[in-house]
Amino acid sequence: MILAGTASPPPAAARSQRAARAVMTAALLLPATLFLAGWFLWPLGQLLVLSLSSPEGPTAAYRALAESEVFRSVFVNTLLLAVVVTVICTLLAYPAAWLLTRVRGFWFSVALYCVLLPFWISILVRTFSWMLLLERNGPVNNLLMAVGATHQPLRLLFNQFSVHVGMVHVLLPYAILPIYASMLKVDRRLLLASDGLGASSRTTFLRVFLPLTMPGVMAGAAFVFLLALGFFITPALLGGPQNLTAAMLIDSFVNERLVWPMAAAASFILLLMVLAVLLLTSRFVAIGSVMVMK
Amino acid sequence: MIHRRNVLKSAAALGILGVAPGGLVRSAGAQNRPFTFCSWGGSLSETEKKAFMDPFSEANAVEILNVSPISYAKVKAMVEAKAVEWDLVDVGGQFIYQGRDAGVLEPIDYSIVKADHLEPYWKTEYGVYTSTGASVLAFNTQAFPEGKEPQGWADFWNVKDFPGARSLYGRLYYNYEAALRAAGVAANEIYPATDEKVKMAMAKIAELKPNITVWWTSGAQAPQLLSTGEVTMALAWSGRINDAMREGSPVSMTFRDAIAWGNAFVVPKGTPYRELAMQVIGYAITQEAQERLVPIGTYGPVLGTAAATASPEQAKFMVTHPDNTKVEVIFNDEEVAKYWSKWEEEWQKFMLS
Repeated sequence: MILAGTASPPPAAARSQRAARAVMTAALLLPATLFLAGWFLWPLGQLLVLSLSSPEGPTAAYRALAESEVFRSVFVNTLLLAVVVTVICTLLAYPAAWLLTRVRGFWFSVALYCVLLPFWISILVRTFSWMLLLERNGPVNNLLMAVGATHQPLRLLFNQFSVHVGMVHVLLPYAILPIYASMLKVDRRLLLASDGLGASSRTTFLRVFLPLTMPGVMAGAAFVFLLALGFFITPALLGGPQNLTAAMLIDSFVNERLVWPMAAAASFILLLMVLAVLLLTSRFVAIGSVMVMK
Repeated sequence: MIHRRNVLKSAAALGILGVAPGGLVRSAGAQNRPFTFCSWGGSLSETEKKAFMDPFSEANAVEILNVSPISYAKVKAMVEAKAVEWDLVDVGGQFIYQGRDAGVLEPIDYSIVKADHLEPYWKTEYGVYTSTGASVLAFNTQAFPEGKEPQGWADFWNVKDFPGARSLYGRLYYNYEAALRAAGVAANEIYPATDEKVKMAMAKIAELKPNITVWWTSGAQAPQLLSTGEVTMALAWSGRINDAMREGSPVSMTFRDAIAWGNAFVVPKGTPYRELAMQVIGYAITQEAQERLVPIGTYGPVLGTAAATASPEQAKFMVTHPDNTKVEVIFNDEEVAKYWSKWEEEWQKFMLS
């Protein structure tokens, strides 16, 4: 403050230049802002109004949800599912991302496309493929029986297992890519320096490489977690009735029971959960530095 | 001051309500679009197009647009936004009552719809049934070869003599009817659905739950699960099993204990083509139109006189054929709408446990 106060006022030319830049920035931001305002914020506000429009009173939908045992357990299940999927994805993604940074040339292309190709294929197609693979007389069971791992077909489909497999498969690239990006940014000379100072490779990994790539890990995990919270198709097709997720419950409010205030209220609770996670994550890492900016 | 209609308009603009963002609110000028009929897609839509829509369109020189799939939420959204895009809709019978209570349907105009020849349970104040199907006991023919087929819901519940995994529908209805039949309740005593009967049905379903490996939610699932051997027996929609049998899948079904239901036509409130919609409904239940359902053979006629034109082979899987009506339960959509809304939470709890 003291410095600013004592600084000489900028010359007029610099001031007008700064003003022009501000106008330019505003002009560049305007389309996106308008788009978001019109197609996201405004409908979101309307959705909030809808959630308060139950015929039984403004807070009736929220009260009904809070009192519903089904709703509570579905939300807890959804949260748990998202956490477990996030942990699995992150653990699988880290070595995969590391491998991507090590291979070169032809094998790099192969590895990269192994990550990207599934990313480009419709989620519906991938989910159906898992149904074919995991069914009672499907290839996975046939293989297990052929090698004698099991004598009768295992129940691989329509349970917790298949939901996790399907979701991890769909969401894995979302974890790999930010982690890979953060690994690329690590200055290799730091690792050499650590090595030169006598650290074991384990110490170098734990005290240099891992902390430096943590922003990518957090960003990838946040990505996966947020997407997993709203998952619909995969648990709907691969899960059993005990795998009802929040999104499926909202769908039944909208399409079957036609209780839209309840659907809107449930959506808002889900949204609040997402915002809470974003806030929490942003305390540990500037997500923007990995996902958006720079 | 909250204007409900505006709220709904914007809510409809959100993808969450099943309406594409691009579909905001178009004005429903009758001049802008042809008469539009919406149904479920698949073999049902094909059947209705061939038997009802195309012939009507030709005879009356009216263009009819056939679209699918139907969504109840979309019906509600378009009616409340006063932007009706579907003039005639094929729904599950419960929506006659759900839609009536939500105030989104036109009452059927029986001065235009000539329905004196139709059995009373196929015509209601807000909807007319135009074709029939059933929720039947279907099975894998390799698991149960000829002579050893399950004969009804009692056998479905009998895991000792009829081993193997089962599949039931993911909601209470159909299962309620099947469970009560398995528990020995007479077909004509299934309704009214009292609390005692619902509890009895749920207890019966709980008893079988360990053997039910899949609770299906979309019609195509049951024949798929049966033909791959994932399950040996399932409650399934007759039309889907018919299709699978024709494709040569190792599945079959029995109409004994079948839960017979109808596909109902309803008219969204505020359609600019109200009269035309009534005329199409009237046409769909004529002898001529109903008879066309017989050779198509996926969904049966509602008219007994049309069903009577079926060959013995065709009649075997026809809901309204006299041989089958004797052993069926007629699904009561009004009762179902009542017990489903009352017991849905309990059912979901049961499913989650």
